[in-house]
Amino acid sequence: MDSFSSSSGSPPNTEALMDQIKAQLAQAYAQEFLETVGNKCFAKCVTKPGSSLSGSESSCISRCVDRYIEATGIVSRALFSSTR
Amino acid sequence: MDASALSNPRLQAMLEEEKRKAMANEFVAKLTDVCWDKCITGSIGSGFSNSEASCLSNCAKRFFELKMLIVQRVSSPR
Repeated sequence: MDSFSSSSGSPPNTEALMDQIKAQLAQAYAQEFLETVGNKCFAKCVTKPGSSLSGSESSCISRCVDRYIEATGIVSRALFSSTR
Repeated sequence: MDASALSNPRLQAMLEEEKRKAMANEFVAKLTDVCWDKCITGSIGSGFSNSEASCLSNCAKRFFELKMLIVQRVSSPR
Protein backbone atom coordinates (compact mmCIF):
# COMPACT_ATOMS: atom_id res chain seq x y z
CA MET A 1 0.00 0.00 0.00
CA ASP A 2 2.95 2.34 -0.01
CA SER A 3 2.86 3.14 -3.70
CA PHE A 4 0.23 3.52 -6.38
CA SER A 5 1.77 0.88 -8.59
CA SER A 6 -0.12 -2.35 -9.02
CA SER A 7 1.47 -5.61 -7.94
CA SER A 8 1.05 -7.27 -11.32
CA GLY A 9 3.22 -4.70 -13.08
CA SER A 10 0.46 -3.74 -15.48
CA PRO A 11 -0.91 -0.17 -15.41
CA PRO A 12 -3.47 0.22 -12.61
CA ASN A 13 -7.05 0.55 -13.77
CA THR A 14 -9.13 3.46 -12.52
CA GLU A 15 -11.19 1.28 -10.21
CA ALA A 16 -8.17 -0.06 -8.36
CA LEU A 17 -6.60 3.37 -8.16
CA MET A 18 -9.76 4.86 -6.64
CA ASP A 19 -10.01 2.07 -4.08
CA GLN A 20 -6.40 2.58 -3.12
CA ILE A 21 -6.81 6.33 -2.72
CA LYS A 22 -9.91 5.87 -0.55
CA ALA A 23 -8.16 3.32 1.63
CA GLN A 24 -5.17 5.59 2.14
CA LEU A 25 -7.39 8.57 2.95
CA ALA A 26 -9.31 6.50 5.50
CA GLN A 27 -6.03 5.47 7.06
CA ALA A 28 -4.85 9.09 7.22
CA TYR A 29 -8.13 10.20 8.86
CA ALA A 30 -7.88 7.41 11.43
CA GLN A 31 -4.26 8.26 12.20
CA GLU A 32 -5.04 11.94 12.74
CA PHE A 33 -7.99 11.05 14.94
CA LEU A 34 -5.90 8.68 17.08
CA GLU A 35 -3.21 11.32 17.44
CA THR A 36 -5.66 13.95 18.69
CA VAL A 37 -7.64 11.62 20.97
CA GLY A 38 -4.40 10.30 22.43
CA ASN A 39 -3.22 13.80 23.30
CA LYS A 40 -6.57 14.91 24.74
CA CYS A 41 -7.14 11.83 26.85
CA PHE A 42 -3.57 11.67 28.08
CA ALA A 43 -3.94 15.25 29.29
CA LYS A 44 -7.32 14.50 30.93
CA CYS A 45 -6.71 11.08 32.42
CA VAL A 46 -2.99 10.67 33.09
CA THR A 47 -2.27 13.72 35.21
CA LYS A 48 0.55 12.11 37.19
CA PRO A 49 2.14 9.28 35.21
CA GLY A 50 3.04 6.37 37.48
CA SER A 51 4.90 3.14 36.82
CA SER A 52 1.86 1.77 34.98
CA LEU A 53 -1.63 2.89 33.98
CA SER A 54 -3.93 2.47 36.97
CA GLY A 55 -7.40 0.97 36.70
CA SER A 56 -9.01 4.37 37.14
CA GLU A 57 -6.76 5.87 34.47
CA SER A 58 -7.68 3.07 32.07
CA SER A 59 -11.39 3.53 32.64
CA CYS A 60 -11.00 7.30 32.31
CA ILE A 61 -9.26 6.76 28.97
CA SER A 62 -12.02 4.54 27.65
CA ARG A 63 -14.70 7.04 28.75
CA CYS A 64 -12.62 9.86 27.26
CA VAL A 65 -12.39 8.17 23.86
CA ASP A 66 -16.17 7.66 23.85
CA ARG A 67 -16.74 11.30 24.83
CA TYR A 68 -14.36 12.57 22.15
CA ILE A 69 -16.23 10.62 19.50
CA GLU A 70 -19.49 12.01 20.91
CA ALA A 71 -18.05 15.55 20.85
CA THR A 72 -17.05 15.12 17.20
CA GLY A 73 -20.65 14.15 16.44
CA ILE A 74 -22.05 17.17 18.31
CA VAL A 75 -19.70 19.56 16.51
CA SER A 76 -20.48 17.99 13.16
CA ARG A 77 -24.24 18.29 13.71
CA ALA A 78 -23.89 21.86 14.94
CA LEU A 79 -22.11 22.81 11.72
CA PHE A 80 -24.03 20.84 9.15
CA SER A 81 -27.58 20.67 10.41
CA SER A 82 -29.86 23.39 9.01
CA THR A 83 -30.62 25.21 12.27
CA ARG A 84 -27.94 27.68 13.22
CA MET B 1 1.64 4.95 -14.06
CA ASP B 2 -0.83 4.89 -16.91
CA ALA B 3 -1.75 8.48 -17.76
CA SER B 4 -5.17 7.48 -19.04
CA ALA B 5 -6.13 6.22 -15.59
CA LEU B 6 -5.30 9.63 -14.14
CA SER B 7 -7.26 11.61 -16.71
CA ASN B 8 -10.35 9.47 -16.28
CA PRO B 9 -13.23 11.86 -15.49
CA ARG B 10 -14.62 9.47 -12.88
CA LEU B 11 -11.31 9.61 -11.03
CA GLN B 12 -11.24 13.40 -11.31
CA ALA B 13 -14.78 13.66 -9.92
CA MET B 14 -13.90 11.33 -7.08
CA LEU B 15 -10.80 13.37 -6.20
CA GLU B 16 -12.86 16.58 -6.14
CA GLU B 17 -15.39 14.89 -3.87
CA GLU B 18 -12.66 13.58 -1.56
CA LYS B 19 -11.11 17.04 -1.44
CA ARG B 20 -14.42 18.52 -0.24
CA LYS B 21 -14.78 15.75 2.32
CA ALA B 22 -11.23 16.25 3.56
CA MET B 23 -11.81 19.98 4.09
CA ALA B 24 -15.06 19.37 6.00
CA ASN B 25 -13.39 16.62 7.99
CA GLU B 26 -10.46 18.84 8.87
CA PHE B 27 -12.74 21.67 9.97
CA VAL B 28 -14.78 19.36 12.23
CA ALA B 29 -11.60 17.90 13.71
CA LYS B 30 -10.14 21.35 14.36
CA LEU B 31 -13.34 22.62 15.98
CA THR B 32 -13.72 19.52 18.14
CA ASP B 33 -10.15 20.05 19.33
CA VAL B 34 -10.73 23.74 20.21
CA CYS B 35 -14.20 23.27 21.71
CA TRP B 36 -13.16 20.22 23.74
CA ASP B 37 -10.58 22.36 25.52
CA LYS B 38 -13.09 25.16 26.09
CA CYS B 39 -16.09 23.09 27.19
CA ILE B 40 -14.83 19.89 28.82
CA THR B 41 -13.11 21.38 31.84
CA GLY B 42 -14.12 18.88 34.53
CA SER B 43 -13.49 15.17 34.87
CA ILE B 44 -14.70 12.77 32.18
CA GLY B 45 -18.05 11.20 32.99
CA SER B 46 -19.98 8.42 31.31
CA GLY B 47 -21.90 11.00 29.27
CA PHE B 48 -21.88 14.73 28.65
CA SER B 49 -23.92 16.97 30.93
CA ASN B 50 -26.48 19.16 29.18
CA SER B 51 -24.28 22.20 29.70
CA GLU B 52 -21.24 20.46 28.20
CA ALA B 53 -23.24 19.32 25.18
CA SER B 54 -24.73 22.75 24.53
CA CYS B 55 -21.34 24.39 25.08
CA LEU B 56 -19.84 22.13 22.37
CA SER B 57 -22.69 22.90 20.00
CA ASN B 58 -22.58 26.66 20.65
CA CYS B 59 -18.80 26.69 20.44
CA ALA B 60 -18.86 25.11 16.98
CA LYS B 61 -21.54 27.51 15.70
CA ARG B 62 -19.87 30.61 17.14
CA PHE B 63 -16.47 29.60 15.78
CA PHE B 64 -18.05 29.24 12.36
CA GLU B 65 -19.62 32.72 12.69
CA LEU B 66 -16.29 34.13 13.72
CA LYS B 67 -14.66 32.65 10.63
CA MET B 68 -17.31 34.26 8.45
CA LEU B 69 -16.85 37.63 10.16
CA ILE B 70 -13.12 37.48 9.65
CA VAL B 71 -13.53 36.63 5.98
CA GLN B 72 -15.86 39.63 5.58
CA ARG B 73 -13.53 41.90 7.53
CA VAL B 74 -10.48 40.91 5.54
CA SER B 75 -12.15 41.00 2.14
CA SER B 76 -14.09 44.28 2.55
CA PRO B 77 -12.33 47.53 1.67
CA ARG B 78 -11.50 49.71 4.64
